[in-house]
Amino acid sequence: MGPYDSSIFVGSSSGSSSSSFTGKPPDQIDGLLAGAGYKVRSSELRQVAQCLERLETVMVNAPTEISQLVNDAVHYNPSDLASWVDSLLSELNQPAPVTVPGGSSDYSNLSFVDSLEGLTINQTAITDDWTEHHGAQQQQDVSQQLTVVTAMEEDSGIRLVHVLLTCAESVQRGEFSLAGSLIEEMQGLLTRVNTGCGIGKVAGCFIDALSRRLYTPQGVGSIGSSYDNEILYHHFYEACPNLKFAHFTANQAILEAFDGHDCVHVIDFNLMHGLQWPALIQALALRPGGPPMLRLTGIGLPSPDGRDSLREIGLRLAELASSVNVRFAFRGVAASRLEDVKPWMLQVSPKEVVAINSIMQLHRLLGSDPTRESTIETFLRWIRNLNPKIMTVIEQEANHNQPEFIDRFTEALYYYSTMFDSLEACSTLQEKALAEIYIQREICNVVCCEGLARVERHEPLAKWRARLGGAGFQPLHLGSNAFKQASMLLTLFSAEGYCVEEKEGCLTLGWHSRPLIAASAWQAVAEPSIPIGQRLLVAVNFQTSFKPTPLAFRF
Amino acid sequence: MVEQLHQNNQVNRAAVKGKRLRFCINDHIDILVEILKRVDGRSLGVAACVCRLWCSITRNDSLWEHLCFSHVSPPPSGVRPVVVALGGYRRLYMVCLRRVLSRLARMGSGGGDSDLVRRVWTRHQVELSLSLFCVDYYERLNGGGTGRVVSLYRCTKLVVLICVRSEANLTIYEAFGDLGFVRFCLIPISI
Repeated sequence: MGPYDSSIFVGSSSGSSSSSFTGKPPDQIDGLLAGAGYKVRSSELRQVAQCLERLETVMVNAPTEISQLVNDAVHYNPSDLASWVDSLLSELNQPAPVTVPGGSSDYSNLSFVDSLEGLTINQTAITDDWTEHHGAQQQQDVSQQLTVVTAMEEDSGIRLVHVLLTCAESVQRGEFSLAGSLIEEMQGLLTRVNTGCGIGKVAGCFIDALSRRLYTPQGVGSIGSSYDNEILYHHFYEACPNLKFAHFTANQAILEAFDGHDCVHVIDFNLMHGLQWPALIQALALRPGGPPMLRLTGIGLPSPDGRDSLREIGLRLAELASSVNVRFAFRGVAASRLEDVKPWMLQVSPKEVVAINSIMQLHRLLGSDPTRESTIETFLRWIRNLNPKIMTVIEQEANHNQPEFIDRFTEALYYYSTMFDSLEACSTLQEKALAEIYIQREICNVVCCEGLARVERHEPLAKWRARLGGAGFQPLHLGSNAFKQASMLLTLFSAEGYCVEEKEGCLTLGWHSRPLIAASAWQAVAEPSIPIGQRLLVAVNFQTSFKPTPLAFRF
Repeated sequence: MVEQLHQNNQVNRAAVKGKRLRFCINDHIDILVEILKRVDGRSLGVAACVCRLWCSITRNDSLWEHLCFSHVSPPPSGVRPVVVALGGYRRLYMVCLRRVLSRLARMGSGGGDSDLVRRVWTRHQVELSLSLFCVDYYERLNGGGTGRVVSLYRCTKLVVLICVRSEANLTIYEAFGDLGFVRFCLIPISI
């Protein structure tokens, strides 16, 4: 692991510092220590080193948690907390102690050279050790923030993560009184950590979620109305490129699938404000050969105060389509849960080509009642029976659906710390604040809810591949156009740090090579053996009852 | 460009002996338009500030069309009705293309705006710019976006007020947070 390889904090490396005090010009402020905020003359460095040695011996003889600090006090860049959390979690999994780098060859990196040149060499050595975790932007941050982390805050931050995981374990075992006392301890620790950024912020969210789980489990399901959720979603859309990447990639795939067809139908599983569709309408308007007749069916939550929000969005999209001369029809389907939608509501006509667009919706169907047939399988089956030309599936690339609570919790801690990291790059404070609330609601659902109330059941792409493959879909490669467009979109909209990767025809958006969202496209496998008449009967059977009915036909 | 024109004027005046022949560019709008078709974005904006006549001339969308797409190879066909419907080339340049150019400038090897305009655009960049332009038009149709946060006020150390404007209403939400970190609850409060 990178950060463990070089113990570079000034306090802990006092051992062989005395070897490097020769040959310095007098009366110059030491460059390396000046970077750490201390103004020490080179002539005084020997005394400083001796004091530090004495401090070290005292700390070694002190209680155990401080002596651990001596061995593994390393600098963490507080804005790169995801890598820090990752290193902490891997440390927990391998309890072998970290070895102190010994020998003066390691210390040559941080010998107390006081010229500025030496300072930059040291810092490049530091950044080289973290090559796997740093983008270009953070190299500047390293020089500024190396000095900010104090030992006290690190201590609290490390303890916070340890206590969080202990608390989650105790919740899993059902020891609620212990969990409660741990939560109080964590709230105490929170006061000593900066909750404005970094580990403090993420830990704050998770502590909130855990305390909700313990104290008000029934109140969790009703956080906020759907109208609030739309506002939060909109600001999340503006704050970071995740949703834009999803929309543009799906649009490109759908556009390519619709090539040559004149009558097309798009089904959107979560319309929200319909921000995805203007771009598709415009692209269809400009395609060589002219625009097709476009029908859009948008599925969304029923609005609480009686306004027909779906219809309003449909009207706006129709206005846009008419101004660019695209024949357009809109249909809104209001359903409070996605599994309540039935195929007859969509009114698919046989002569049109169907595209299905699911942006972070399919995972909501994974929670199932064990006595009935699995919701997701039923759902995928009737989708397949619609015979779509393309189905675009965009999902979070995370594993938050494991049966054990502690596994889910650990995964979520890791994933959402990456997510918060990436949000730090957002420029507008207001958008960032609301986007953070949006993410907090997701976290709360992952941590607090159980059973059917837990809808944020993210699964990684590999599992979706297996699931969709088993349901009769085959993958469609997304193509180089989608990749180029995604890369261009990222350069336009965001800080350096985001990256797009292509793997087996699927695109993944990641932050510093940690994946956040995966986009893939699918098409129904044609079934050659069953003739059309009997295929229709099979479809009708599944929709009316789950028991096999006696029929005179053979299959 | 403008200075060059002025010098040409003076040269003309000096070159003509005897006759007091004045050449004023404002009498020859077609020449002016031809010149303005070939300048870069910033100069066109500057030209719009010269006088009312020039301002009205630069609002002519075909000038901006040249600016946007004359360096696209191959030139996009059939784009004009769509762009005009969505707000015109001038708006396309202001909202989307200028941003794309400045971003590419930051990534590329530097040089002024004019250097980049001479760069040949690829089809992908054109398509992406048009898509973004369309999204911008759609968001304007919403009347400035649904539920835009107007302002955030920190009342006390823990309580933040978020003002959200949507269509004709202004809703104020109360949320909890300390330092930079705003927590969950969006509770609408009635005044």
